[in-house]
Amino acid sequence: MKLVCLGLNHETAPVEVREQFALSDGALDRETEGLISSKDILEGVVLSTCNRTEYYAVVNGSSGVVELENWICEQREYHGSREGVFYHHEARDAAEHLCRVASGMNSMVLGETEIFGQVKKAYQRSLEGGGTKSVLNKLFQRAFGVGKKVRTHTAIQEGATSVAGASVELAEKVFGRLNGSSVMVIGAGEMSRKTARALQSRGASSVMVTNRSFDKAVDLAEEIGGRAVPFSGWEEELAHLDVVIAATGAPHFVVKPQHVEAVRRKRKYRPLIMVDIAVPRDIDPKVGEIEEVYLYDIDTLQEMADQARKRREEQLRLCEEIIREEIEKASLPAVNE
Amino acid sequence: MDCLKESADPHLKGWLGKGSYMGMGIGWVVIATVLAIAGGVVGAMSLRTERPSPVAFIWMTLAFGAQLMALAWRGGLRGQCPLGDVGEICLFLAWSLTFFYLVTGTTYRVSLLGVFTAPLVILLQLIALIPGFFEKNVISADSVDAWREAHTSLSVLSYGALALAAVAGVMFFILNYRLKSHKFGGGLVHGMPSISRLVKAMARIAVVGWVILTAGIIAGLLMPEGNFSLHLMVATITWVLYAVLLGVYFVRGLPGRQLAIGLTVLFVLSLVVFAKL
Repeated sequence: MKLVCLGLNHETAPVEVREQFALSDGALDRETEGLISSKDILEGVVLSTCNRTEYYAVVNGSSGVVELENWICEQREYHGSREGVFYHHEARDAAEHLCRVASGMNSMVLGETEIFGQVKKAYQRSLEGGGTKSVLNKLFQRAFGVGKKVRTHTAIQEGATSVAGASVELAEKVFGRLNGSSVMVIGAGEMSRKTARALQSRGASSVMVTNRSFDKAVDLAEEIGGRAVPFSGWEEELAHLDVVIAATGAPHFVVKPQHVEAVRRKRKYRPLIMVDIAVPRDIDPKVGEIEEVYLYDIDTLQEMADQARKRREEQLRLCEEIIREEIEKASLPAVNE
Repeated sequence: MDCLKESADPHLKGWLGKGSYMGMGIGWVVIATVLAIAGGVVGAMSLRTERPSPVAFIWMTLAFGAQLMALAWRGGLRGQCPLGDVGEICLFLAWSLTFFYLVTGTTYRVSLLGVFTAPLVILLQLIALIPGFFEKNVISADSVDAWREAHTSLSVLSYGALALAAVAGVMFFILNYRLKSHKFGGGLVHGMPSISRLVKAMARIAVVGWVILTAGIIAGLLMPEGNFSLHLMVATITWVLYAVLLGVYFVRGLPGRQLAIGLTVLFVLSLVVFAKL
């Protein structure tokens, strides 16, 4: 008797392959039923999300992943190349893999919490359908415990690892929640779009786009559901803004201290965050000397993102230790034996 | 003078004996101090690990309970609001500071930073514990003047709020400096409320303190010997300065840093002036 895990995910298979293996709720029950009806498979759980499909099974005797892979491909009528598409784990490796999945360590967005509920749901369906017995019951219960422990004892999901994410993090440090905050994007390039999108995803409600070429400003504004402002009029809007993102290709400073000084009184000296992601810089560094202005350039944001990446690597090591310890401690049949 | 004979709770003091009753009272102050230290240490550790913990809040709540017991002891001795010596004033101030910390904490997340309030509470209680600062021979009041009681207790209570506003101001200085100088590392920045929340917390807590101070001054003017003493004059000047600062902030607007400077300087200055009176 041994535990095996066979699956494919966003790292091993392109979307056109993943969608062939994705299972709806109804199909999931039938798949589990089919899996455990095989005489060599004693227990089974099938997990299917938009990014992964995985089969956890307790197999008898000499049966192994090859037989399981053949069965799955037959069921899904998959005749394409299998090379590098599937990954498989056995015994302890399989148990540790499940813990990683439940903890969000294997997810596209590291540490995301949705996967925990999806694993729980997959297990619950199999349990109700009689697909799990002593081995998988113990294993999944342990994996849920590990998932919770990883989330409470580590910080894998914390810290922004992109320039856009770092901008959002800084804006939140100044304003708390960004709900209802006003943003202006100066420049209509890709970085402007990404950063504006990131701010919107955290609640920024009013996004204005300004650009020397007004057409481009209109295009971006339409795309992100914002409002285009003529380049000649952006200074007037400054009085109402909370966040300014500057990302133009201008060879000189676009935002100067006098622009902010002119509206300070009107703004009632409210905090203003300015993010300059342009090279050469768009915002005169002297603007950052104004008391209520928090100015950050691309180097600062890049450094923040790098530090977050390093921190995440450290956290991942910590997560692995937790998983190893927990699996070690557990007396799981077909895993520790 | 025998405080046991004079004070308001003769049965308990008679049963315990003078020394034991005094020791028990001091014991509550010591317990409150130890609990505040625990709150501060837990808060500091949670910041170091970048995971602010509500445990600091629990320690401070327990410290608050111990402070109440200590105040009840002094109140029992005096038969009136316990604000008759340096020890009592420090203890009452520490209690009001803890009170506002607990009340406003949940709203403004200031409570996550027990490390900022706890040191002030600890310092005040340690001063109170200096031998001689709690008078041993206390005369129990024959009669209680309600206006005097209201004046003293409301004034000290207002100082608790104004102290917390100053603490929020110090937090603002630290966060503002770190954000302006791009120093984001460590748990300090991670565990603090945002700049906007700190500015709002400073202003709102100061308003609460100012309103209570207003009530305290009115009560002072209504005291039987309610002449406009030097003490009341200083209190009124303090009140006017806070009113100007808050008025400017709410009407014209003020950068957060200037508000923080104003609140911190005003608090320290008024405290120094009152201490010299």
